[in-house]
Amino acid sequence: MKNRLRILRAELDWSQAELADRVGVARQTIIALEAGKYAPSLPLAFKLSRAFSKPVEEIFIPEPFD
Amino acid sequence: MESHSNPAVNACRCYYWHFGASISAYVIVIFFSRWLWHSVNGPWRTVVALLPIIPVIFIFASVVRFLLATDELQRQIVVNSLALAGGATALLAVTYGLLECDGLPRLSAWWTYAVFMSSWIVAAYFVRRRYQ
Repeated sequence: MKNRLRILRAELDWSQAELADRVGVARQTIIALEAGKYAPSLPLAFKLSRAFSKPVEEIFIPEPFD
Repeated sequence: MESHSNPAVNACRCYYWHFGASISAYVIVIFFSRWLWHSVNGPWRTVVALLPIIPVIFIFASVVRFLLATDELQRQIVVNSLALAGGATALLAVTYGLLECDGLPRLSAWWTYAVFMSSWIVAAYFVRRRYQ
């Protein structure tokens, strides 16, 4: 799953560690999310949505179905 | 810099501290137990031989505490690597068990533990790499 985490974080001038603190995860988890290597659970997706004050669908872009 | 209020960071710090302290206690207790074992007789020998189990329980507790307190990805990495290590150990144990029927010497149960811990380290490295 693709996402706009890196862009949104850059817009707010937050470091990965700062975003990690805001949503209560390890920095490695933010790195994995930004790289698209990990799709978050719904609770984490909503935490990120709250942190950026944006709806989940504006942060995460699902891959097109085959 | 990640703050002290981040539960995932705190879980990691606590894990390293508890795990390190438990491993140190294990090393001390194992030497103490070996030394004491020669000085006691009868059923006390079994009790003394089993003394290192106490810090091992603390090691296990530190892993469980980390699993409960850390974030979802770190938990997934630990659980996946434990599952892979368990599977690899079971496969090797069954293979060697069958080879024992074919005449290979009987090995100590310690080998199972050593294989499991080594597989866990290797599996954790590869599972973690998947998410980098």
